[in-house]
Amino acid sequence: MSGFLLVLAIMLPPAWVALMLVAGGRASEHLAHLFVPFGLAISLVIAALVADGGPIIYFLGGWRPPLGVGLRADGLSAAMLVMTAVVMAATAVFAAPAFRTPEGQSEARAPFAFWVLLIALWGALNLVFLAQDLFTLFVALELLTFGAVPLVCLDGSAATLRAALRYLLFALVGSAFYLLGAALLYGAHGTLDILLLAERARAGTGAGITLFAICLMVAGMLAKAALFPFHLWLPPAHAGAPPAASVVLSALVIKAPIFLAMRLWYDIAPVPEAGATLLALLGAGAILFCGTLAFQQERLKLLVAYSTASQIGYLFLMFPLTGAEPFASIAWTGGVLHLVSHAFSKAAMFMAAGLIAEAMGHDRISGLSGVGRLLPMSVFAFGLGGLSLMGLPPSGGFTAKVMLLSAAVAQSAWWIAVVILLGGLLAGGYVLRLVLAAIAPGPMPVPVKAISRRRELIALALALCAIALGFVPLQPSSLLAIGRPGSWEAMP
Amino acid sequence: MTYLLAAAPFFPFLLALLCILPQVRRHAMQMLAFAPVPGLAAALLAPGGVLILPPAPFRITLFLDTPGAILLGTSSLLWIAAGAYASTYMRGDEKARGFAVWWLLTLAGSQGVFLVADLTSFYLAFALVSLAAYGLAAHEDNAAARQAGILYLVLTLVSEALLIMAFVMLASGAGGNPDIREVVAALPLSPWRDAIITLLVLGFGLKMGLVPLHVWMPLAHSVAPVPASAVLSGIVVKAGVIGLMRFLPFGDVLPGWGGLLVVSGLVTAYFGILVGLTQTHPKTVLAYSTVSQMGVVAVVLGAGLTAGDEGTVVAAALYAANHVLLKGALFLGVGVVLTTPRDRLWPLALLALTGFSLAGLPLTGGMLAKVAIKGPLGDGTAALLLTLSAAGTTLLMLRFLERLRAAATGEETGAPKGLLIPWAALAGTALVAPYVLLPLATGDAAWAVVSLADLWNTLWPVLLGLALAAALRSHVGRLPAIPPGDVVVLAKRLGPTLTASMKAADRMEGTLRRWPAAMLLLVAITLLLAAVTSGR
Repeated sequence: MSGFLLVLAIMLPPAWVALMLVAGGRASEHLAHLFVPFGLAISLVIAALVADGGPIIYFLGGWRPPLGVGLRADGLSAAMLVMTAVVMAATAVFAAPAFRTPEGQSEARAPFAFWVLLIALWGALNLVFLAQDLFTLFVALELLTFGAVPLVCLDGSAATLRAALRYLLFALVGSAFYLLGAALLYGAHGTLDILLLAERARAGTGAGITLFAICLMVAGMLAKAALFPFHLWLPPAHAGAPPAASVVLSALVIKAPIFLAMRLWYDIAPVPEAGATLLALLGAGAILFCGTLAFQQERLKLLVAYSTASQIGYLFLMFPLTGAEPFASIAWTGGVLHLVSHAFSKAAMFMAAGLIAEAMGHDRISGLSGVGRLLPMSVFAFGLGGLSLMGLPPSGGFTAKVMLLSAAVAQSAWWIAVVILLGGLLAGGYVLRLVLAAIAPGPMPVPVKAISRRRELIALALALCAIALGFVPLQPSSLLAIGRPGSWEAMP
Repeated sequence: MTYLLAAAPFFPFLLALLCILPQVRRHAMQMLAFAPVPGLAAALLAPGGVLILPPAPFRITLFLDTPGAILLGTSSLLWIAAGAYASTYMRGDEKARGFAVWWLLTLAGSQGVFLVADLTSFYLAFALVSLAAYGLAAHEDNAAARQAGILYLVLTLVSEALLIMAFVMLASGAGGNPDIREVVAALPLSPWRDAIITLLVLGFGLKMGLVPLHVWMPLAHSVAPVPASAVLSGIVVKAGVIGLMRFLPFGDVLPGWGGLLVVSGLVTAYFGILVGLTQTHPKTVLAYSTVSQMGVVAVVLGAGLTAGDEGTVVAAALYAANHVLLKGALFLGVGVVLTTPRDRLWPLALLALTGFSLAGLPLTGGMLAKVAIKGPLGDGTAALLLTLSAAGTTLLMLRFLERLRAAATGEETGAPKGLLIPWAALAGTALVAPYVLLPLATGDAAWAVVSLADLWNTLWPVLLGLALAAALRSHVGRLPAIPPGDVVVLAKRLGPTLTASMKAADRMEGTLRRWPAAMLLLVAITLLLAAVTSGR
């Protein structure tokens, strides 16, 4: 029965998309809203079942790998599913007024495309979190790219098309690397199932090829995740994207390749320490370099975008810190907690930035003086999200930072500790640039458009989620260790 | 009764949250005087109380020890007086309601730091008082306040970063959210003992203004509205003091660290006096006096660390509490004297008495505070230098009074009662408070600890200060002009370097964004990754 939920999580969205395509226009918009409670419920129930009774496993058609394909939800995927569902649901409410089919028209291009893509992305993300074989995961990654690219250029201007193309091409290069690695692994081990690959890699044959393949695939994921120095596509993609698209892209879409990099790294074969250190070095580069650039941006949206490029660096600091028992380590919990709280806080910040830009008609930071009095709730949401990025208590970002710092201290990885602290200061710099401008005295700015209170509340609610994560206990989470290391034998 | 411990920080915090409602916000200014009342009640009724709020892992442990109770009680008194004062002082200020919210948040955090006993809550309370105080310091709408505010924020974030590192290293091995006492007891055995103490001294030293980390203080304290200056200089800096008290291992003998604190405290004490004398704005003079006084507290704590004497903390708390009330009264007095006609002398006389009490004038409370720290200090050079610094404080207070007189315009019509009453009440309390606190804290009556020699030892520095003032009177005009914030001017030279490195980052970004560069890097990093993982 519970295995059926996994099928529902990956099959309901595509089925729904098909339905939306048939229904078309305004009806598809309503259908998208109708999907939200179902999607949310499925993810929450899966997470509750995993937390309660351990990993959920389902074999399609009853065929076990290597013959068939298996789906599996462990503690980590449960956390990802819930994060995705909450951000998606919030985005759907937030985007409703911006993507309403105009009165008197039965269908409009942007709203129709947006709602279809949103549900498709939700499905693709669920697939990334539940699939266990490299081929299905490849399909999921491609679905994700092809869903996210059109979202970036929804307004159809030349600049956004150029940015979208840049994103598409770079993502495809990443896919090529992934595919190459997958082919090597298949050649060496004769299977694409991650858990079987792990078993066969343990058996000891083809260790060199396995490691090389993992490196190739992880590098591909770095390109898709926009980790420094491959962030070239991310800021332009955000620059012209609608706020709701930026939310999905920054909070969720780039997390999928990171999730996959974690799985490849930890689940197939133990990768030597030196590789993890290199990943952490790139992460450190992201934190410092992109943080410095975020501080220099003149447009609010780009500031938040560079902040994303900077913040994902923290997720790669985790790799050398997890130690001999990665899934029971504080660094594992800290890394995942950072991923989740960044999703909530960044979603809130992109929403707030979007509302500010919508109300003012522009998003030049120098022209946003006093906007705090115009949109107090949005600026508050931005500030709370920023609190988490800066790693100040109480917030998920703070707890995650303390966990990563603890792990760095325990392993005497001092340079990582220093990078974490400097990253917090940089985040303080760029977050406060907006907040200080917003609360600066002066005449009340004149809005070009009224903003509905409900959309501001959505941003605030997401920011409060990031704050609430600060109350996660400062110890390795038992949820995130459920079902890891994975095995098909752990069937209930 | 122990629930009062929770009420002290949470009541003002809840009031701040309730200010979301317009009907509550309208009365925000009137709430300021009442919000600290639970703190005062807790200090009076529940010293020694322990309260563990929700069960683990969300645990918040509150514990009111003697130093905490002394500081909580006196700072609550100042909060009440300054809050009442502010409701009159800020009348007509259209941003007063926002100011009140910052005020309540700062209050909540500052009550918290005196009370919390676990690591995470301490960091939370410390961050709250530090960040919310920005709203008080940068309230005025001018360039000076903005710059002071930004400098304050930057240094605050630096101090938060230093402290979180120290706390994580302290808790390493303990796991979760341990009690402060637990981890501090284990500190002397930690392999990183010296690194941790360095981080703690730097982080808390930034807050209490140990030279050269004091640069923000004269700037931020002098640009704020008068009641805000009073709480910033009187109370907010004490967050650093209580931090050192809670986190330094006074149970152990650490002569090296003790000596370092003594020296840096002495440097701070004299630096504050010397630079303070050159200042022209009365509030800046007072801010430098705070720098100097925090130096004295550091000397006391350093002496305690050298001797391994836990009793020092109580003496230092008494001295700091005395400073809370006196410095609060001095700042509030600025607003009163500036609105009082020149021929009405009693406000100036009361203000002068408060100032001399800070220098330790015999029979005032300040004298008792000086006597209280005599024990831990012993009879060495440091003690003599500190006694001598009281002459400097006398001089500084005279300078303050002189600058205050000079700032009068001659059009004063008299201070409103709303300013006069809170100030006079606070000043009166400040002059006698140590007589009440000393017996409560140590069990000794005031007359039992003060000897005739003490009277002389506190009198001669004041007389020396007066004599020096008379002798130097004609030279006042020749004082060098040192800008407020002194060494921060040096830091401004860092500006171009910073801009240059930012520009370099920008150029590099231009390169990284090009396709050939990105693709080559992708290949190179993949190969590098493969090389380092296989080259075991």
